[in-house]
Amino acid sequence: MLIQILLVLGFVLALWITWKRYRQDVITLIEALGWSVLCVGGGVISLLPKLTEYLAAIFGVGRGVDLILYAAVAIQFFLIFKLFVSHEKTERLLTKLVQNGALKDLSFRPEEQERWSGEILVNQDSSTRHTPSE
Amino acid sequence: MKVIGVVPAFKEETRIVNVLRAYLAYFDEIVVVDDGSSDRTAEVARMERVHVLRHAINRGQGASLRTGTLAALKLGADVIVHVDADGQHDPKDLPNLIKPILEGQADVVLGSRFLGVEATGMPLLRRCVLKAGRWFNILALGIPKKVTDPQNGLRAMTAEAARRIDFHQDGKAHASEILRCVTRSGLRWVEIPAHIIYTQDSLNKAGTNRTSDAFRIAWHLFIGVFTK
Ligand SMILES: Nc1nc2c(ncn2[C@@H]2O[C@H](COP(=O)(O)OP(=O)(O)OP(=O)(O)O)[C@@H](O)[C@H]2O)c(=O)[nH]1
Ligand SMILES: [Mg+2]
Repeated sequence: MLIQILLVLGFVLALWITWKRYRQDVITLIEALGWSVLCVGGGVISLLPKLTEYLAAIFGVGRGVDLILYAAVAIQFFLIFKLFVSHEKTERLLTKLVQNGALKDLSFRPEEQERWSGEILVNQDSSTRHTPSE
Repeated sequence: MKVIGVVPAFKEETRIVNVLRAYLAYFDEIVVVDDGSSDRTAEVARMERVHVLRHAINRGQGASLRTGTLAALKLGADVIVHVDADGQHDPKDLPNLIKPILEGQADVVLGSRFLGVEATGMPLLRRCVLKAGRWFNILALGIPKKVTDPQNGLRAMTAEAARRIDFHQDGKAHASEILRCVTRSGLRWVEIPAHIIYTQDSLNKAGTNRTSDAFRIAWHLFIGVFTK
């Protein structure tokens, strides 16, 4: 069937890219093997869909397609969760950056301090205090 | 003893000036953290006798409090007080808040809306959400039942306690995170009654929906468990 040919071609392409990336030193051997297992598994199931019926029977799920759907949902759930966590990490890094930027402005601001204490002194005992100009 | 107030402020240009003037009588110094407001919060605060730090972009109340607390430590604070910029906290509570620390009886003092002093104008729904939130804090986070108001933003702590309280929640979940840390660290803590004022102005504050906040807080605490 056409869909089978397309799927197998897709998996072969993915397999080829995976090993190309390994040779380019982009991914480690373990990662390459992991992806290869997924691609080969996908290819085999595309060619022999009946296989999933046996697997489904082992897991006690009705149909082979159902098993694939359940697995897909579980995997996506896991991936989305990881995405949330890594997003939170990025947010915290961003906060750190923003905080460092804000704290840089914490000069102890001598001129400001002077202005303040000046004000306070003027306010509190303006009658007795002499300003430098006097 | 140098007492420094840390005031996080997000879009508070219309409220913050009066609030700061009222606080100045109680603090040696004040650190305002403008949380990337798009209004003139920082500018109007700079007119007062306070330090003003500015987040380049909005990072939330928790993040602002952490920035302010770090700044207060750098300024040599002995006591650090977290207090809101929107006028919901009553400045008259500040002496009571700081007293247990000055007398050496506590390392951390927490304000509570539920210890006898009635909050002014608190909507019923808010009261229910806060009560439910308290049970969430007890059951899900293991915050002692003795804490009557885990969501209260009014707190005072010694510099030593501030250094030990390690919190990373940027949003409103910081309150629970701080509490968990305080109640498990061997720090001596105490809750005191605090008068919180709800006005139409405070309830209408732009972009706020407190009931959905509750779910957001729970979610952030959950994700936070997996984020180190
Ligand atoms: N909402 C909000 N407040 C922030 C933020 N950053 C700093 N703040 C300040 O944090 C303080 C508390 O914020 P509020 O939104 O009033 O929250 P709250 O007082 O705990 O809740 P209410 O009782 O409903 O007012 C105020 O002083 C805000 O200006 C932010 O990103 N969002
Ligand atoms: Mg408020």
